[in-house]
Amino acid sequence: MSNQRQASSASQVPHLSPAELSYLYTSLSLPKNPIRPDGRSPTQFRPLSAETNILPGTNGSARIGFADGTQAIVGVKASVEKTILAADTLDSRSLAQHGDALNREGEEGSAAVSGQGEWVQMSIEIPGYRDDDALPVFLGEMMRESLVGSVAGGSEEVKEMAGGLKGRLVINKRWHWRLYIDVLLLSQPLAYPLPLLSLTTHLALLSTKLPKLKSTGEEDPFFDDDWAVAEYLYPRSNKQSSPSDAPTYPVRPPVTLLVIAVGENVIFDPNREEIAVADAVLAISITRSSDSENMKLLSIRSIDPPSRLTQPGIPNSENVNMLGGPPASSNQSGGQEEVGGVWRPRRGGVQRSVITRMIKTVLQKGGVGEEVIQGLEGVKVE
Amino acid sequence: MAITILAPVVENAAPYNADSDDSLSVASDEDVEMTGTSRPHKRQRLQGESNIATGIVTPGEVVTDDPQWMRGHGTYTTPLSTSIIATVAGTVLKTNKLLSVTPMRARYIPEIGDLVVGRIVEVQSRRWKVDVAAPLLAQLPLSAINLPGGILRRRTTADELQIRTFFSEGDLVIAEVQSVHQDGSASLHTRTLKYGKLRNGVFLAVSGTGGSGASSSSVKGGRGTKSVAGSSLAAPGGSGTGGVVRSRRQVWTVSGANGGGDIQIILGVNGYIHISKLADGAEAASSATENVSITRLEEMASSSIYSSQNEDISAKTRREIARLAQCIRVLVQNGVRVDEETVMKAYDASQEVDLEIGDEEDEDDEWRQEGREYLEGAKAQQILQYVMR
Amino acid sequence: MADRRRINGPPAGTRPPVYASLKESKTGVSERTLRQRQPTELRKFYLKTGMIPTASGSSYLEFAPSAALAAARSNPKSLIPPSSALKVACTVHGPKPLPRSVPFSPNLLLTTHVKFAPFAARKRKGHVRDTTERDLGVHLETALRGAIIAERWPKSGLDITLTIVEAEDDRWWGDAPDSHDASWGMLNVLAGCITAASAAIADAHIDCLDLVSGGVAALVSDDASTAPRLVLDVDPAEHRSIQSACVVAYMPARDEITELWLKGDSSRAALEKSDGRTGHEALIDGAVDAARGANTILTDAVRESIARSFAQV
Repeated sequence: MSNQRQASSASQVPHLSPAELSYLYTSLSLPKNPIRPDGRSPTQFRPLSAETNILPGTNGSARIGFADGTQAIVGVKASVEKTILAADTLDSRSLAQHGDALNREGEEGSAAVSGQGEWVQMSIEIPGYRDDDALPVFLGEMMRESLVGSVAGGSEEVKEMAGGLKGRLVINKRWHWRLYIDVLLLSQPLAYPLPLLSLTTHLALLSTKLPKLKSTGEEDPFFDDDWAVAEYLYPRSNKQSSPSDAPTYPVRPPVTLLVIAVGENVIFDPNREEIAVADAVLAISITRSSDSENMKLLSIRSIDPPSRLTQPGIPNSENVNMLGGPPASSNQSGGQEEVGGVWRPRRGGVQRSVITRMIKTVLQKGGVGEEVIQGLEGVKVE
Repeated sequence: MAITILAPVVENAAPYNADSDDSLSVASDEDVEMTGTSRPHKRQRLQGESNIATGIVTPGEVVTDDPQWMRGHGTYTTPLSTSIIATVAGTVLKTNKLLSVTPMRARYIPEIGDLVVGRIVEVQSRRWKVDVAAPLLAQLPLSAINLPGGILRRRTTADELQIRTFFSEGDLVIAEVQSVHQDGSASLHTRTLKYGKLRNGVFLAVSGTGGSGASSSSVKGGRGTKSVAGSSLAAPGGSGTGGVVRSRRQVWTVSGANGGGDIQIILGVNGYIHISKLADGAEAASSATENVSITRLEEMASSSIYSSQNEDISAKTRREIARLAQCIRVLVQNGVRVDEETVMKAYDASQEVDLEIGDEEDEDDEWRQEGREYLEGAKAQQILQYVMR
Repeated sequence: MADRRRINGPPAGTRPPVYASLKESKTGVSERTLRQRQPTELRKFYLKTGMIPTASGSSYLEFAPSAALAAARSNPKSLIPPSSALKVACTVHGPKPLPRSVPFSPNLLLTTHVKFAPFAARKRKGHVRDTTERDLGVHLETALRGAIIAERWPKSGLDITLTIVEAEDDRWWGDAPDSHDASWGMLNVLAGCITAASAAIADAHIDCLDLVSGGVAALVSDDASTAPRLVLDVDPAEHRSIQSACVVAYMPARDEITELWLKGDSSRAALEKSDGRTGHEALIDGAVDAARGANTILTDAVRESIARSFAQV
């Protein structure tokens, strides 16, 4: 039982020897210029290939693959559902009044009914994990949280997105869209799969279309059955100069990046070995806010660094096999002091300054967050 | 740029089309070709021409029905007929009158005398279980290791009790296959001074001789794996034979460029590779081999054989180790066999590619300088071309 | 995750009715209990260890209802129930030997179970742990693992079980469902769980680097016109909307954070001009301050339990 939980917790511990861990840690924590095992620079991502709209049966879909063969497919499906408005208001007469009250309260007017977070459903399928294991649940919550939480701030130009994704799903007071986001990882993850899944979901949502609404106001919704006039879930700006240009999005879905800190260094898109020696692992969700060009922080979650569970190395001075004699008094606390080249499992937490630096590297102008969003903008979404 | 996103590449998009020479009609009669003629056509040819299928056979395909042949690995016979039928997809190998099918991609099958790199996965009372990328875990008995102290002595219960002080879970060992059991599992030994615990470097798992990349690896096995010794290099991108092959030297020392110092490369036959800084004492020990008595040697080696403490490794050495690891990854991902020759060629090529790029780009741009060792994409192709030359 | 082995009734079956006509009354909409505390003032809470004699360590934590809430309880003007206050019981079992099936571990293996009592929240919880409970469990594990010195107890396991008797509300009950766009109450629950679990671990005499405690800070806006302001130890029922909130697990002696969970948009925080911090930095600092406050009570509770056991001798 606890073995299974171990494997399913957010941290996956690869079996690495203390000597390897020590080598990795010291390489990655070299001041200013860490040496990653695959030679990347600290902010460099593994190259990936991406395509969208690959599944005709979905409202939107995307696939992203790494060179090592890890692939993720995301399909987005939408269905119309009746809104259970304020389940605690029983009287149907007062239901209308209640709606009016909300109308008066919310100055925006048209977006009278705000969306509900539970209209977005997300499920993650990872081979080798049950869908109620901790890892898929944790990943799903993490991605859903930033998705429904991203409220576009003060963007008058896109009134559809006034309430964020949730607001977009409202059809009228009595009907709404329910969005099913199904994430499929095609192979057992070779690294913590969060960035892959998040990027794929991002692209799938960008390609998602909803049928054009023909009904107006509070009547029961009916839709244009011409798929060609369907509208994008994330509206595109009309300011496009020529059709060949990549479309611009006033509002973009969030992207969750995995960032680790090793020593003084902040490292992006870590592979499994790199996570194994990290001092701190953070999942940072960002998006580009519509009103400014700055990156906007949506959520941060710390992830349990697996380095806490690793096996410590034994310094030569304490190694009984190197002394040749009887074992030295096995002093449990003797391993407190750091010996160069000997692995010690990380203990304790992170300094606030380290967290601040990690966030800053993501958010700063021209930083990694901006580059990732730009990179994703370059993907042609049909 | 932090992130590179590429358009998907369609690999080998041309549909299989046996004998259509009219390229315009491909799309129209493709289905007919696939279902109607291609397979029976192939069978016909096999039986008609030489009696033995050549090239690639698939499971269930009759290799030959000539009774003079004996059946080998990868085939089976039915009592009712004399035909030999393939059980794996691969190429037909004839050894005198023995017919066997060597699969294109399979697990590592241990053979006596193989030098392997393994990872301890379980500690039992008198032995270790070692992952060597084979179908079954190999075992390393306590009696098959050199005990410290320099003297050859009997194993005591004290040794059994402190078995974890020799090797513990996760430790990497270099060992030799001492015997292979009936069920295909191997027994290892480390009773030579060059065997023991590995440290000072990085581990990577690629496909080995008849081996596939292991689950814990960051590099998955390339396209083909089982390599026939002496086979020529495959074309890059083609379905060649990648992975480590059995060769004369599995362990050698490279003098790293850019002040990298001496780097030791261990290519385990099973596809597990360890690249490390050459241990300080190792040079002296090897040079002294001739004139030191055996007992003396034991003493020298035992000082580091079970150590899990890394030496001081300079940043330059680390860089070159990372570069070598990348070179091997490039080779494997493109289906090129990995041995001393190809690794050294790729390593030289990577230096050369770097120099070329260095000329083109502004040297002062520090951002560019970083991440130079990352060898995927265009650099990989350049390196491959050089290796192929 | 839905229970697939049984057929359960509808999950939302046991909501108490709230009469809409009353909500529309004069006393209705303005009935929200507003925060009486200073922005930096924390709620009082009760923490005691050793409540459960059969466990190796245990603790019970209860938040004091805020003053406004207490007033509302004594003199109910509306049928809308006042907000609840967190009540958590924590038990620690272990260190105990790992079962045979588990491979060798050089460290103490931590297992955390967070379970809401079926009646803990307004919406009834099933007996099978759902996603939020599992999610909280992962967060809690992260927070505690950083504080425990795991290699002192090789080959052993530690089970930490938290039962949430009463959970914090996500919003004021009179608000429309999901008008607060996230489950903000979860953050308070997590902070309480961290503090309670830390006390129970200390009670079980497991080696720790420091007593780790949880703290919450949030950016709230009580009316739409003003920019959100920073408050510590937020009670979601007391505010019209919460922009962003953050929970940390903090070890004061080492000035280190073992767990950080921040959500929401923190970019428009109203900070003083002289304050050079960005919104999220201010949030994290605020949460750390809240955790420092909780730590004083935590330390006292642990001290008290030791004193009690001395008195018995």
